[in-house]
Amino acid sequence: MLARARDLHRQGVDVLIGIVETHGRGETQAMADGLPHLARKKVEYQGRTLEEMDLDGLLARKPAIALVDELAHRNAPGSRHERRWQDVEELLDAGIDVYTTVNIQHLESLNDVVHQITGIRVSETVPDSVFERLRDIRLVDLPAQELIERLNQGKVYLPEQAMQALQGFFSPSNLTALRELAMQTVAEHVDADLREKQTARGLSGVGIQRHVLIAIDGKGQSEYLVRAGARIAERRGAPWSVVSVDTGHSAEAALHAEDLDRASSQFNSMARSEQQRQMELDKAFALARSLGGETELLRNTDITQGLLDAAAARGARSIVIGRTRERPIARIFNRTLTQQLLQRGARYELTIVSTPQARQKSRGLYDLRGERLAKGEPGLILLATVGAVIAAFIAERFVGLEDLSTVFLVAVLLVASRTRMVAAVITAVLCFVAYDFLFIEPRFTLFISAQRGVATVLLFMTAALIAGRLASRLRMQVISLRAANTHATAMQNMARQLSKAADLGQVISASSSVLQSSLNAQAWLRINGESGPTAVQGELSEKDMVAADWSQQHGQASGRYTDTLTNSAWWFLPIRSDQDTIGVVGLRFPSAMGRLSFEQRRLAESMTEDIGQAALRARLVSELEVARVTGETERLRSALLSSVSHDLRSPLSSMIGAADSLSRYGKDMSSEDRQSLLETISVEGERLDRYIQNLLDMTRLGQQGLTLSRDWIGVDELIGSASRRLQRYEPTVKVESDIDPEIGLIHVHPALIEQAIFNVMENAAKFSPPGEPISVQARPADGNAVRIDISDRGPGIPEDERRRIFDMFYSMERGDRGKQGTGLGLTIVQGIVGAHMGKVEALPGPQGRGTLIRLTLPMGEQPSEE
Amino acid sequence: MSAAIDSAPAPRVLVIDDEPHIRKFIDISLRSQGYLTLLAATGQEGLSMLAGKGADIVVLDLGLPDRDGEDVLKELRRWSRVPVIVLTVRSDEEGKVALLDAGANDYVTKPFGIEELMARIRAFLRVSGLRSETGPIYDDGNLHIDLSQREVKLQGQVVTLTRKEFALLALLVEQAGRLVPQPQLLKEVWGPTHEEDAHYLRILVGKLRNKLGDDASAPTYIVTEPGVGLRFVGKERI
Repeated sequence: MLARARDLHRQGVDVLIGIVETHGRGETQAMADGLPHLARKKVEYQGRTLEEMDLDGLLARKPAIALVDELAHRNAPGSRHERRWQDVEELLDAGIDVYTTVNIQHLESLNDVVHQITGIRVSETVPDSVFERLRDIRLVDLPAQELIERLNQGKVYLPEQAMQALQGFFSPSNLTALRELAMQTVAEHVDADLREKQTARGLSGVGIQRHVLIAIDGKGQSEYLVRAGARIAERRGAPWSVVSVDTGHSAEAALHAEDLDRASSQFNSMARSEQQRQMELDKAFALARSLGGETELLRNTDITQGLLDAAAARGARSIVIGRTRERPIARIFNRTLTQQLLQRGARYELTIVSTPQARQKSRGLYDLRGERLAKGEPGLILLATVGAVIAAFIAERFVGLEDLSTVFLVAVLLVASRTRMVAAVITAVLCFVAYDFLFIEPRFTLFISAQRGVATVLLFMTAALIAGRLASRLRMQVISLRAANTHATAMQNMARQLSKAADLGQVISASSSVLQSSLNAQAWLRINGESGPTAVQGELSEKDMVAADWSQQHGQASGRYTDTLTNSAWWFLPIRSDQDTIGVVGLRFPSAMGRLSFEQRRLAESMTEDIGQAALRARLVSELEVARVTGETERLRSALLSSVSHDLRSPLSSMIGAADSLSRYGKDMSSEDRQSLLETISVEGERLDRYIQNLLDMTRLGQQGLTLSRDWIGVDELIGSASRRLQRYEPTVKVESDIDPEIGLIHVHPALIEQAIFNVMENAAKFSPPGEPISVQARPADGNAVRIDISDRGPGIPEDERRRIFDMFYSMERGDRGKQGTGLGLTIVQGIVGAHMGKVEALPGPQGRGTLIRLTLPMGEQPSEE
Repeated sequence: MSAAIDSAPAPRVLVIDDEPHIRKFIDISLRSQGYLTLLAATGQEGLSMLAGKGADIVVLDLGLPDRDGEDVLKELRRWSRVPVIVLTVRSDEEGKVALLDAGANDYVTKPFGIEELMARIRAFLRVSGLRSETGPIYDDGNLHIDLSQREVKLQGQVVTLTRKEFALLALLVEQAGRLVPQPQLLKEVWGPTHEEDAHYLRILVGKLRNKLGDDASAPTYIVTEPGVGLRFVGKERI
């Protein structure tokens, strides 16, 4: 690695040593000298200072190629990743090429083989999935003897450790075997490479589906099976998955888990062993995922059927199972898993892997060890037995002795149906004893006459066993169904809650509450920078946030139950939508919960997927909303522009035109014409001024800072002032005003209200046909208010447009073709009247002609006349 | 300048505009120059006036209360070829091109000086009157153009024009004062396949201006209406 790096460095490639372990060897040190290297990070751990690779420094420096020695290294506790190969993956994700080294014995899938060869279990393994990212692999090969010589010379390991290492691991036979293994592995990798290239070039023959299904049961050696199966699949270049069939035991064990917390409860060895089995399954599944396989927990009361279904669903051709425990009786009846699979799955290739260690004994049909009576069961047994005895005493008067046995049989069945087999068997024995002792002649002895007694015993035992077996299987089915149902219900609940969420905030609050209730864990979410719920937010420490950020950045889980940033109490899951990671879900399970069950993991993951979809939907909705608002703003802006261009230009056109006409052709005109043009200039100038005033008013009203300086003023005065102003601009328009003398003073901002009345009157004048008057009517209104009606006899406004005339620039949206004038006038009226707590409405004019605009203003307390 | 036409009957100008003040000053100015005016406040009124009384030229405002000015223009074009000058507040060239496509002959953007409008009106009335003459001659003392002789002189010196340059100049001078749309220029000088090739026109008009001693930034003869077309202005023809 160093030699190659030196070559590259000489060629000017940006090579940087992330970490190279020289183990104090001079030769290695000499090779490393002259290459740029990154300072190591010091990590304090339990009083000792450990040196680790500075991952962040490396990411920040971003060389073209980083040298990272010893891929299998385990980082000091508290580092970001548990293992160095994870650091390397992060470097690769950041676009940095990495040169690294790894010894053959560290490869995960070879772990068992190495163990078999050397007798040493290597704990620092590197998952095979890392190998898939290799661009190239170079085998550093030495004959075993030479290696040992180098060891002796101190070129490979620290001298003081060399002897010890030699004796243990590096025996010539071991090294030769490992060397062969290394060659084989590299050859397989090269082979896989070639296959890929051939496929890419269309040279098929590998295109057929050769999925390998690996079945594990968690009863010891599951991990071994996974490794073995993975190697088989790897050799064939086939995709593979690991499954386990849950017949309901795990769910039942979960029901007992609460009892387990109350420690010494003696019933629960079963639950405990069940939990052990679950732990093993979890570990095996985790291993499978790290090796690059898929995992699934199947639910079926029939293991064989479950496996065959799974194989069919994946299009698998081979099934890998472990060798099942010898069960002579089952074998006689062709009931072992192997036999069943062979019989019912004839088209599959069955690989049975013999596991080296004795498998744990599992509970079987007749294996009652480990079974203990659950709480309440002894009571039920006693009750049933006593009940049966009493019933038998009563029944004895009416029926024969033979029929009495059925009474006891009913009791046995009753108990069997409510409990498990142990209880059924105990009840059977008790009932038989009671029956024998109390009813069978000679009474009150346990003596049984051969003819009847033996048959009865057999009958009782058989009935109890069959009924117990049936009942307990039924029970497990129910429990298993219930577990599956819980999952489905939780998912349904999530979907229902999410479908109601319209924006991101609601998605967050809905999903956090569902996660909380269905996983029984504290939940925190962050999506697109928005996070919640706030109550939980405060409980996240800086450490937790680092893990959350990491998850989001890398799209992988981190924190508790993972092997990245494990010192966080939270488990963080990335939320994906499409290709991107858009957020992260944090879950904190009770600290007593040491492991995450497959069920919980799967549920959390499925829910997170749904949340991602909902977030995506919410984002689309909000983007649409933003687009709509932008569109509206844009429309308003263009309406404003066209209003300004029209309303400013119309009077300007008249003024410029008139002035220009006067200056050019004035001498050719009569004096009346000249006078008329001069009038045009002044009238249009004032119109322009009014329009600009309107714009300024609008700006003032639009901003929140409008303050009313109220004063007492008579409504008649306001109307008078407005109509005088109107007459100035529109001398031809007649105003008929009718003001109720009862109306007193109103407490308003006089100039503003006058402007409002003027705007309405000007608007009316514009639409009034020539010669028709505008009418202004003021009347007291309900609730101590005054009502001012201003109507014209123009064309009127269609009902559906009456509301819209108060919209800013309504008349202007029609642009060039619209009637000239005031898109603002009525909007300003509304603003002014609104500021006085009054209201404006557009109504049809009197006798159905024209338009009536009604202003309603509160009057306030009348002042005393002083 | 006094009345445009002395011998012939006074030309009649129909003004269709809903703004009374604009109508008024156009009316006064036109009458002062010896035109007869017809005034209409709505599109419908204008159309019936044109149909009933006839006019030599129409000044049409686009912002009419009763119907869209463009509609009026289209309807008018179905039965009349009278020149139409449009008054518009639109200053974007797409709008102008659309107007020309809809059948307008020229446009004036509000606000406008009266002389601008008068020059347009004169240009149309003159063209329709002068087509029959032997061949138009332009002479302002500086530039002399004789289209029938294919002769161009600048300050007495003969200017040599290429065939295309002369064709372009001739097109513009024949319709002096009027806007000639860009596609029309391209089509007549280069042929119908080149209607989109505006850059041909830009280069050719540059050379022509050069030879006529005209400055594109302050043109005295050939005015560019960006995105719409060219207009030969110069002085009034003698």
